[in-house]
Amino acid sequence: MITMPTNRDENWRYANLRPLARARPEAVDPAASAAAGISLPAAIAGFEHWVFVDGRFARNLSTPSADSCATLLHAREAGQSFDDILDASLATEGVDFALARLNGSRGDEVLHIAPADGATAALELTFVATAAASTGTSYPRVQDHAGRGSRLRIIERHVSEGSLDSNINAAFDVALRADATLDHCRLQNCGEAASIYDTLVAHVGERASYRLRSVVLGGIASRSTQLIRLAGRGARCELTAASIAQGPQAHDTFAEIEHAAPETVTRELYRGIATGRGKLGFNGKMVVAQNAPGADSEQSLKTLLNGPGAEASVRPQLEIYTDRVRAVHGATTGKLDEQMLFYMLSRGLDRREAQALLQWAFIEDAVSRVDCGGLRQEIERLVAAQLQEVSSLDGLLNRP
Amino acid sequence: MSLLKIENLSATVGGKKVLNGVSLTLNAGEVHAIMGPNGSGKSTLSYVLAGRPGYEITGGSVQFEGKDLTTLAPEERARAGLFLGFQYPVEIPGVNNVYLLKAAVNARRKALGLTEVDAYEFLQMVRGKMKLMQMDESFLSRGVNEGFSGGEKKRNEILQMLVIEPRLAVLDETDSGLDIDALKVVARGVNSLRSADRGVLLITHYQRLLDHVVPDFVHVLARGRIAKTGDKSLALELEQRGYDWVLEVA
Repeated sequence: MITMPTNRDENWRYANLRPLARARPEAVDPAASAAAGISLPAAIAGFEHWVFVDGRFARNLSTPSADSCATLLHAREAGQSFDDILDASLATEGVDFALARLNGSRGDEVLHIAPADGATAALELTFVATAAASTGTSYPRVQDHAGRGSRLRIIERHVSEGSLDSNINAAFDVALRADATLDHCRLQNCGEAASIYDTLVAHVGERASYRLRSVVLGGIASRSTQLIRLAGRGARCELTAASIAQGPQAHDTFAEIEHAAPETVTRELYRGIATGRGKLGFNGKMVVAQNAPGADSEQSLKTLLNGPGAEASVRPQLEIYTDRVRAVHGATTGKLDEQMLFYMLSRGLDRREAQALLQWAFIEDAVSRVDCGGLRQEIERLVAAQLQEVSSLDGLLNRP
Repeated sequence: MSLLKIENLSATVGGKKVLNGVSLTLNAGEVHAIMGPNGSGKSTLSYVLAGRPGYEITGGSVQFEGKDLTTLAPEERARAGLFLGFQYPVEIPGVNNVYLLKAAVNARRKALGLTEVDAYEFLQMVRGKMKLMQMDESFLSRGVNEGFSGGEKKRNEILQMLVIEPRLAVLDETDSGLDIDALKVVARGVNSLRSADRGVLLITHYQRLLDHVVPDFVHVLARGRIAKTGDKSLALELEQRGYDWVLEVA
């Protein structure tokens, strides 16, 4: 029996859990998945492409390389119960892991990415949800176990078909051995009625580096739970997140980064915009353990509210159990800068365009850090469209 | 018809009366300088003309080319041909200069019933103006005023003015914080805009800018109203005698 989180749980206060409660928890029946006519985003050059429909691998839509370091695991083929192949860290008890455990118990496929020592690889993973929540839930699951000194780039996209209320529960676990590097860019651009919940657990080894860049744009409800452990001396994590919640959207992230070894480094940056009745939550928890002297942690969390019904909650949390530590953190929630707005109006810009530009300027701080192939250009176009001034922002994206 | 006609203008900022009956007429082709001690209302006048929120007109009138300026929103004033050069230009990281310039030019062109500017011709034109302002082209792709020195910001204001080609430029202490070489560059920019169908309202503390941009009229603003008007020689007199004697007369 898995105890599901509620808004009474401290780390889930701002999550919209209603769609999760309403959705059918069984995995989507493959027969109910759209077999044809799926619209996929353009593939990014230089990456092998893995496409999953309602959580299951779609071979006909994918082009993995012949010598790919990724393999598809099926629980039954592996000859063991699905729970057994969960990463050990995911087996931890606690409500924050409940959705990952649900994923483990209901899903039946795992993409296992395991670059060998010193290897390099680049994978684009596209998850398409095509089923209504009443027919079941999608359970995408990825394990990334990177060998020593390996260099891995992953693009992870989540999209959904049309205006369906698809429900997605994704789980991603990462283990980086010494000196490994993972550049992980995620784009959640699901339809406006979809709901998506994900759990990411990462274990970062000695001198290994994990860079996670997330952009969350879609979904009526979006909740990301990120639990990252800097386990080896000199391990490093750069976490950047951008989110735009408009209308009735609610986007919520809980990110806990634990410095569990000496000289570990964290750089965390979050920029969120809530417009209309949009709701944002970002709870960034940093824990510096007693055995992590020389830890270096920076955290910058900012949200912008544009609309009388917009809400945001940013919570930086620091728990430090050692003296030798550098920890810088800041969090702000504000409205558009009146001076900047007046400056642009005084140059003749339309008020709506000026507001869109200022929002653009605000979120660009995070978006500009997405550096996985051509994904950034796509994200910039999507962000511009979200800010409702795509025609006029076009020129801004084509830098001279 | 005059370009700008201010009559008995009164205004408050945060409930405090700052302008107290300003009257001034500026015709096309003229450059007027407004001088005055700190707190006399110079910057307030520039903000009131540009329509900054929080600057409330409590009396009088402002006509711009015969139209009531006070009923227009700030962006409408800009599109009508009014330009404000800020004393403290704001930094806008993430919005690059060339984008703002192009958007500003197109806003004005649209108001004039013209089509959007051709991208190539626009860049050629901007590059020419940048050369005049001795600005490196790298400024174009940088965020608006982001990381600019005080002098660079002022040059950027003048560059914007030259690119937008307003009918009336109100320049609020554009000379403050400039070394003598930068002052000459800024003055060159202002002079290049002078023409028979344009006007310039120069707000300044010091006479030195007026050595390079010679005004047709010099006004002294004191206690929220024009206390004295003269020609360029008035600026020289103020430089020598200060403002006290004007205040005494006023």
